[in-house]
Amino acid sequence: MIHRLLAVLSLAFFIGNAVNAEPFVQGGPIGSQTSDGYNALGPVVQQPIEFPHYRHARDMGINCMYCHTGARRGYVSAIPRIDKCIGCHQNIESVRNKPRIKKLFEYWDKKEPIPWKKVNDLPDYVRFNHERHIQRFYFRQNRPVREVCGYCHGDVANMTVDRRVKALSMGWCISCHQKDHKESDTNMKTSHGPGECWQCHK
Amino acid sequence: MSESGINRRDFLKVLGLGGSSLALTGCGNTDIRSGDELIMPNVHPEDFVVPGLSVFYASTCTQCGSACGVMGRVREGRVLKMEGNPESKISGGKICGLGQAAVQVQYNPDRLTQPMMKVGGSLQPVGWDKAMALLEEKTGPRSGINGEEFAFMTGAMSGHLKVLVQNYLDSLGSKNHFVYEALSPAVSFAANKQVYGVDMPRLHFDKAKLIVSFGSDFLGTGASPVHFAAEYAKFRKAPRGTLIQIEPKMTMTGANADRWIPIIPGTEGVFALGVANQLLKHEEFAQSVPSDIVSLVAKYDPETVSSITGVRSELVGHLAALLWEKSPSLVISGASVEGHTHGVQNAVAIQLLNKILGNVGKTLDGQAQSPFPQIAPNAGSFAALKSVNDGMGGGKFKAIFIYGANPVFTAPSFMGLRDNLRKVPFKVAFVNAVDETAEECDLVLPIYTAVEDFGSHVAWYQPEGVEITMQQPLMEKLYSDTRSMGDIMLDLVKQRRADEYKAWPDFFTYLKTAVINIKPAVKYADTDEHFWYDTLSHGVIQVDAPQQQIGSNFSAAMLDLPVTAEAQDPKFPFYLVPSERHYFRDGRHANCGWLQESPDPLTTIVWDSWAEIHPKTAESMGIKEGDYLEVSSQNGTLKVKAYLFPGIHPDAISIPLGQGHESLGRFAKGVGVNPFKILNPVFEKSTGELAMYGTRVSVKKTGESEIVVKDEGPVSTQMGRKLVVTLPADVAQLSKEI
Repeated sequence: MIHRLLAVLSLAFFIGNAVNAEPFVQGGPIGSQTSDGYNALGPVVQQPIEFPHYRHARDMGINCMYCHTGARRGYVSAIPRIDKCIGCHQNIESVRNKPRIKKLFEYWDKKEPIPWKKVNDLPDYVRFNHERHIQRFYFRQNRPVREVCGYCHGDVANMTVDRRVKALSMGWCISCHQKDHKESDTNMKTSHGPGECWQCHK
Repeated sequence: MSESGINRRDFLKVLGLGGSSLALTGCGNTDIRSGDELIMPNVHPEDFVVPGLSVFYASTCTQCGSACGVMGRVREGRVLKMEGNPESKISGGKICGLGQAAVQVQYNPDRLTQPMMKVGGSLQPVGWDKAMALLEEKTGPRSGINGEEFAFMTGAMSGHLKVLVQNYLDSLGSKNHFVYEALSPAVSFAANKQVYGVDMPRLHFDKAKLIVSFGSDFLGTGASPVHFAAEYAKFRKAPRGTLIQIEPKMTMTGANADRWIPIIPGTEGVFALGVANQLLKHEEFAQSVPSDIVSLVAKYDPETVSSITGVRSELVGHLAALLWEKSPSLVISGASVEGHTHGVQNAVAIQLLNKILGNVGKTLDGQAQSPFPQIAPNAGSFAALKSVNDGMGGGKFKAIFIYGANPVFTAPSFMGLRDNLRKVPFKVAFVNAVDETAEECDLVLPIYTAVEDFGSHVAWYQPEGVEITMQQPLMEKLYSDTRSMGDIMLDLVKQRRADEYKAWPDFFTYLKTAVINIKPAVKYADTDEHFWYDTLSHGVIQVDAPQQQIGSNFSAAMLDLPVTAEAQDPKFPFYLVPSERHYFRDGRHANCGWLQESPDPLTTIVWDSWAEIHPKTAESMGIKEGDYLEVSSQNGTLKVKAYLFPGIHPDAISIPLGQGHESLGRFAKGVGVNPFKILNPVFEKSTGELAMYGTRVSVKKTGESEIVVKDEGPVSTQMGRKLVVTLPADVAQLSKEI
């Protein structure tokens, strides 16, 4: 009886992942897990507007932080304010009648926020500080922005709607915190990320 | 294997394998998830808004009447924490626990979110249009109500909302503004008025070397605890000032004193006259007061004083010697002195010491004179409750509005206020959460909390100049069906004076115009618009006003206190001390979980009421901690747990105020007992105020017992280790030092 239960549980587990599968394998093969048991690849999330990250970040070469302005100065990278989207798009006539842009302007006209779904959602007891990471790796080490953001978010510049491609689990965080990282692009001294509980658990 | 077919080992296996997926069903977000939560971006925020970073906005704390300037930490449009506003001279950038709990008033799960109307004996939700239509019908111009038939009862008020309330009453032709505070300073004001000619002198703790406080819990409650705590810190800096506290039950201030002297409640004035007698024998002081006062106080010799007050006779001379030695000093009186039949005389007798010692003008002088009498504070009184209660009982009122007061909870049961209130045909309450009074009303209107609303406040204790503290919303209203009290008042005024008020569509514009009118008084050089935004961003308007001149007028008639001990009623041998807790006050904040959870500073008890009883008295009656006692006065009985407490006079029993709610939401309802209810009809004889500390009670063991929930460990045993070395008072020879 118990064995049958286990079989059903594990089957459901794998089917669930197979349904959500996408043809790219960043973070490990589909259904694979990191050492602490978290899925390396997150599910596909349906967003109110199918935002094309590839168009902005890859084709246009826009820096991630042009829109995610909080990343360099706050805990959260922040979903762009809507007037930011409109600021550019009111001047880009060529795409003004595309369905996704029309939808954007519908929200703007109603002065309503777009109800995006959170893709990278950490547990409530974890505080991840974007500023610390961006200041260290982007500004001090002078690494390319797609690489720095990509440490945790994967190659978003090749995605349409964002999808979680790294585990974002504690074990996964620590695996990077234990590595030696250069202090800056000119200072060859290395240090690793903090290991104290309270740095993330507040 | 168990009957269900799963044994423990298999069960653990299932947990181990399925654990990560099962965890999703747990409480809160404990897993890494995608697509479960929404993340709403700002549409068109202010330029300085960075998601995740906090912004501070200045406002005013309205949790008590001190009107401290505060800052609210706001993130993503939500107020998260209150801090002090460094620009406010009252708060000096600090805040107390009661102020911190303002966010719990805002996010209280039992907040009233829509108007309620009494239908068939119970409150039912209605829309605002229906509620306002009913207001119009019952009190509008066509209702035919005249000013005499209408009453407006509020708590202590100041600022421009007070002006609007007054204007509304004027439009009705009514003079019935009843300002009621259960713990009002009215007796203190009356005594100060007699002596100094002002309601409240300004106290300079930092200039005093010795403070003798007769029952004034200035660190915990009263005029301005945050300000006085800062002043007290200055007073205690080197050279360290000495604090002596004389009171029947140890308050937080008493616990901080160098010497705490327990005294029979109500006899503090006699003790003060005893000290005055000793001082006046000294040639240095003999000329300080008229000769009739010298001859009057001569009858208060140490032995007589000792027999009346229960304080050892040598302490009288000792305190006189200390006062002589440590000059300048400051002598103050507080609630437990003033809440007696001869409360004013008690307070005057205590102020006499300041006169004799030459403190007037040194450690005590006049506050600044506010140039704006219209917005000046009205601190309230019990007399207001008495007149409104008499009016209601006599069927005088056709309608009553109640805002900022909960008389059904705070009125003693002998007044029969609940029944009298029921006689009023139309009763309206303006509240954040339904309380005992709102339960009785026909219409209950949900108003903004202090962190959602505009306003202006003037405190009745002003440390420097006159500070008008500005209140601005720290966040958008949380519930769409709540309204600003100011907006409602403006609508009501417009019922009769639409033309005069048509320039102001809402309270915001009214307040803005009114505040800009203050501009000439502060000599602000820039435009009106700049002045308004400057005022909001700084949170305070400092008006440099001239100081009030204070006199020092004493006569023998003001001091005539009984020279014999008060007669005892053997049926009620104990003095009841209804103590004011620094975060509960009169009980209006009992629905804040943080305040319930905060341990009482002296007993560490949480979420409950208790009766403090001296260990020796308890021993003689066979009472142990946690035993249920029946504390009875002529007007009622409370059943409450005993707490053995050495910081109380052996003949007194103390029950904290603020608990014992029958309403006010899940955190307040049914917690503890309400000592307001058993107070006897004893009144201060010159002001008519209720003598809060004048009730006698009997104490009886019921035989039941329950654990007292408290934070303190076994104090006397110190966990079996000598953590703090203590000495008995006689070994320490305290009297040689202080």
